[in-house]
Amino acid sequence: MSTKARAVWTVTALVQAVLGAAILVVLVLAWQLFAMPWWGWLAYGAVAAGYVAAMPAFRYRVHRWESTEEAVYTQTGWLTRERRIAPMSRVQTVDLEQGPLSRLLGLAAVTVTTASAAGPVKIEGLDFTVAERLVDELTRRTSAVAGDAT
Amino acid sequence: MHPVNEVVRFLPLVIGVFFLGSSTDGNTWWHALGFVVPIGLGVLRYLTTSFRIGEQQLELRRGLLSRNVLTAPLDRVRTVELTSSPIHRLLGLARVQIGTGSASKSGEQRFVLDSLGLADARLLRARLLHRAAEEVDTAATPEDDTLLRLDPSWIRYAPLTTSGIVIALGSLAFLSQFADNAVNTLANESSLRERVHALPLWAALLSGVVAAAVVVSVLAILGYVLTNWGFTLSRDPLGRSYLVRRGLLTTRETSIERERVRGLEIHEPLGLRLAGAGHLAAIVTGLDRRSRGSTPVVPPAPRRVVIGVGEVLLAHQGPFTAALVPHGPRARRRRWMRALSAASVVPLLVALGAGFLGWAWWLLLPAVLAWPVGAWLARDRYARLGHALTPDYLVLQRDSFRGRRDALQRAGIIGWNIRQTYFQRRAGLVTLTATTAAGKQAYHAVDIPEQLAIELADAAVPGLLVPFLG
Repeated sequence: MSTKARAVWTVTALVQAVLGAAILVVLVLAWQLFAMPWWGWLAYGAVAAGYVAAMPAFRYRVHRWESTEEAVYTQTGWLTRERRIAPMSRVQTVDLEQGPLSRLLGLAAVTVTTASAAGPVKIEGLDFTVAERLVDELTRRTSAVAGDAT
Repeated sequence: MHPVNEVVRFLPLVIGVFFLGSSTDGNTWWHALGFVVPIGLGVLRYLTTSFRIGEQQLELRRGLLSRNVLTAPLDRVRTVELTSSPIHRLLGLARVQIGTGSASKSGEQRFVLDSLGLADARLLRARLLHRAAEEVDTAATPEDDTLLRLDPSWIRYAPLTTSGIVIALGSLAFLSQFADNAVNTLANESSLRERVHALPLWAALLSGVVAAAVVVSVLAILGYVLTNWGFTLSRDPLGRSYLVRRGLLTTRETSIERERVRGLEIHEPLGLRLAGAGHLAAIVTGLDRRSRGSTPVVPPAPRRVVIGVGEVLLAHQGPFTAALVPHGPRARRRRWMRALSAASVVPLLVALGAGFLGWAWWLLLPAVLAWPVGAWLARDRYARLGHALTPDYLVLQRDSFRGRRDALQRAGIIGWNIRQTYFQRRAGLVTLTATTAAGKQAYHAVDIPEQLAIELADAAVPGLLVPFLG
């Protein structure tokens, strides 16, 4: 996991916080659906600032991934955590993707899907070169296994 | 394809044109056009659609101007479904839908042969599913063994199938609408209104609830009869596939290849469970996403029938009778916490309403009943929570209202997800999810202690998880 992933998460969190504020402004000031006392704005600001400051660090501590000859494994999340594992013999597609921000920072995400709709394993925030090497490895290993992987 | 069926599809238009024509009188050629165009289109479709079964390929050709040829390898055929609407049945036809396990949802990509002769359709199904076997000969085919035939007395379970939640929510919603609102709208502008108003409140409520229950039951019975009439489950003589037939007006024949079955789901929603009944669905790979991957194999029926059929289908006794491993005191505490805090909302809201909005205080008396109901629910939910492992199957049981017990083939598990919310983490519990290509795609063991989850996953699919977590 690249340390630059934290930057991506921080920017995402900032965008979310600003969007939330914008929605509040529209609801309260433009449409006047309900009245918001001054401490309400303060509370929103505090929660949003806390989220932007703490979430990326938390997430960075939780996120892990590992790929062996037998399987690929990830651990993601921050408050709610999820560990996923998919054996090589059941891998169907390997997908590399880059958002605009990730491209700017030279990051990429690798998604490994199985035949189950509930099973995709997504590894975020990899350095682009690491991601490329991982995709090569995964395709080499999965093509070595016969069968239709269901 | 059959041109008559096309005409029937256009019948509303034909009738419309006919009446329109006769009311504006004159122009008879206009009339004729209304008949000729749909029939012409029907005949054209009929003539331009053809299918072919080659050595290894299934081919469907369509269209006159724009040609569309759809092919699929024969060994990808997973299910074949025959449906006959009343019109089809009148003409002795069937619609054949061939499932190839393609994830594509667009209609163009699906193999559907509308209006084949019923005998031809059955022959086609036999060819597709048992292509590896000897040449199929309808005359010489021995009878299938019937595993289950609908007993009409099972219709009594129909009102209980609308799962417990719906009934409970429905009556709750009705109660919360309280007296005036619901009764007023129901009885508006009729002599009923005065009579209802003359009744004491409790009588009006009671009769309302009874009326709602009767309406719901009648609808449920109708639904049950329409979909499940004549339900039969049979197995072909060589045991290669199962066939489910059902339906009163529109009949439906679904066949499932035995190799595609990854397990069974027993559904015991609260109402059915209290009546000692349940229903059974097969977890199948390659079904259409619309049918969510599970095919009913036993309609709501007594529990012993469900278990009996289940054991025949799995060829194992274990999964349904195995003692379940409970998930321990922390899972129990979580069940109680959640049920009681949810139950507390009702009295709290009523108390707030009484305090600030001037509701009658006596409303608190029924509201307090939410606590014993919550307590019962918590006990039941914990008692049902558990898992078991048999030589071939992973068995997971949970939920009180929906009442599920899933037996998933261990060989069909293609990965694990272990999820922990913040509160689960504090209690040291996880939700272990077995992912699979069949059925609901994911089967959950809820609130299982972390160590137990890892042990279970490792025992079910040895060597996969432990290198990472061990």
